[in-house]
Amino acid sequence: MSEPTEENRPPVFKSWSGWYWLVASVLLIQIIVYTLITNSF
Amino acid sequence: MNLVDWIVLFGVLGLIVLYGVFKSRGTSSMEGFLVGNRSMPWWTVCLSIMATQASAVTFLSTPGQAYNDGMRFLQFYFGLPMAMVILCITAVPLYRKLKVFTAYEYLESRFDVKVRSLAAFYFLILRGFSVGITVFAPSLILSTILGWKLEITTIMIGSLVMIYTISGGSKAVSLTQRYQLTIIMGGMIVAGAIAFYRTPDLSFGETFSYAGTVGKMNLVNFNFDPNDRYNIWSGLIGGLFLFLSYFGADQSQVGRYLAGSSLTESRLGLIFNGLLKVPMQFIILYIGILVFMFYQFNQPPLVHNKTLYERAVQADQSGVIQNIESKYKETFDLKREQSVNLASAIRADDQPKIDQTTTMINLLSMRQDSLRTQARAHIKETTGEAGNDTDFVFINFVMTQLPHGLIGLLLAVVFSAAMSSTASELNALTSTTTVDIYKRSIVKTADDGHYVTASKWITAGWAVFAMAFAMLASHAENLIQLVNIVGSLFYGTLLGIFLSAFYVKYVKSSAVFFSAIIGEAIVICLWAFTDLAFLFYNFAGCAAVIFFALVIQFFINRFTSKRKLL
Repeated sequence: MSEPTEENRPPVFKSWSGWYWLVASVLLIQIIVYTLITNSF
Repeated sequence: MNLVDWIVLFGVLGLIVLYGVFKSRGTSSMEGFLVGNRSMPWWTVCLSIMATQASAVTFLSTPGQAYNDGMRFLQFYFGLPMAMVILCITAVPLYRKLKVFTAYEYLESRFDVKVRSLAAFYFLILRGFSVGITVFAPSLILSTILGWKLEITTIMIGSLVMIYTISGGSKAVSLTQRYQLTIIMGGMIVAGAIAFYRTPDLSFGETFSYAGTVGKMNLVNFNFDPNDRYNIWSGLIGGLFLFLSYFGADQSQVGRYLAGSSLTESRLGLIFNGLLKVPMQFIILYIGILVFMFYQFNQPPLVHNKTLYERAVQADQSGVIQNIESKYKETFDLKREQSVNLASAIRADDQPKIDQTTTMINLLSMRQDSLRTQARAHIKETTGEAGNDTDFVFINFVMTQLPHGLIGLLLAVVFSAAMSSTASELNALTSTTTVDIYKRSIVKTADDGHYVTASKWITAGWAVFAMAFAMLASHAENLIQLVNIVGSLFYGTLLGIFLSAFYVKYVKSSAVFFSAIIGEAIVICLWAFTDLAFLFYNFAGCAAVIFFALVIQFFINRFTSKRKLL
């Protein structure tokens, strides 16, 4: 992963890892919700 | 279609084309024409990426797929968010640092010109054919519903795209895609809302219960079956490799995020695509479910392709189709009664009644399917055409159930989707042909103006090729799957080349070059001689390239060291 510089510093999070964890977490939550929908209906 | 629909349709399309031409006027450099001067903000990058991926096939076929097969197609996209993360870490900083126009330029700096040319060649084959399919799908639908010749609708779509892609290049593509995607999603949601409001007896929450009861809410399947196209494993593993290839090695996507004004803007564009893509597909699929719900309470057509059906009725002297039609209507009347019963049972939470009515509905649905199969077989016998009815489910709903004005808007949605993905593909084919073939191997030293002019001619050439291919394309079993299969035959090999370049420092150019040829041969054999789910071709192609590159490099090293010793 490239070091944060003035040019590529991410907004909101301190490093890009924050964004990557957000994407992974949102995917995981979606899979859980879709599994619940599949099993509930 | 009435005058209001035509005004809305041509108004929307005309504004998009004029906007694209106006906002990108004065593009006279390679940097401007091929990567939009690298000036786009992240949200334009994100919308451009999404509009490129979502072709007209997505909006015509996907709701039909949900209508017939339920929501399970959603799993296909589960690999996409992680692919976005991996690319943000690996490929994007590298491409930005080297300031490349195409992904294949990087391969020359890592290997040599022959690997770069081979990768560019694979890309031109896969994207060249798929741009034809991208034009063909909406052309076919529009020719059918408007009663025009396929050639006319094909030329219309191709020409509209040509106007602004030749005029403004990448910048015109990105700027128009922002509005195209807004129109597309707005139009789709309006169509879904109308399907819901015209479905009696059910609240929105109850549509979930109803769809689940009749087996349509099959969103996630954890059973591992390599021959099953859509389960969570084929989505997470096969999908991951497909989307790594598509977004990392396919110039039609690489070109979109290279247009970002900085590394941050390119990365954010991809990250938001990772966050939004799966929910967007959920919405599109659920619109198909709402259309399905509508047809539980309203008589669905025996055949959704109305033109084909009318031709068959005219040619049918024996009255077989009318006979099937009357049985179909009788079956539907019984089914509707049961659907009303099921809706009230769901509302009353009466489980025994739910079970009883569901059994009846399933039996009647099987009878409906059987009658539809009989009708299609007879239509094929009388007209010689089978066609794929799934692709006509949604558009037939639009044409028969939506009010005037909205019909024109939804047709503009189909056109916009076709134009947005075609424009990106033409721009990518142009970049690769110009930068990786023409500039690299044919005319090596010329001024910027020469290459911009050449790019415009090359764009026109690819557009003519796409239109010719679309006119020759015959009916496919399912268009969306065909597009994905063509992609999957080459994507794995392309990804193998790029992963070798990023991570396997041991391998050199000759090893990768020959392994890419062997890998492609293996994928084609898997496709021709096995039933392996096509999403796994990406993994197989990628693994084969890396494996054979290591083996070949090992023998090259041994041979070289022996010669040195001698």
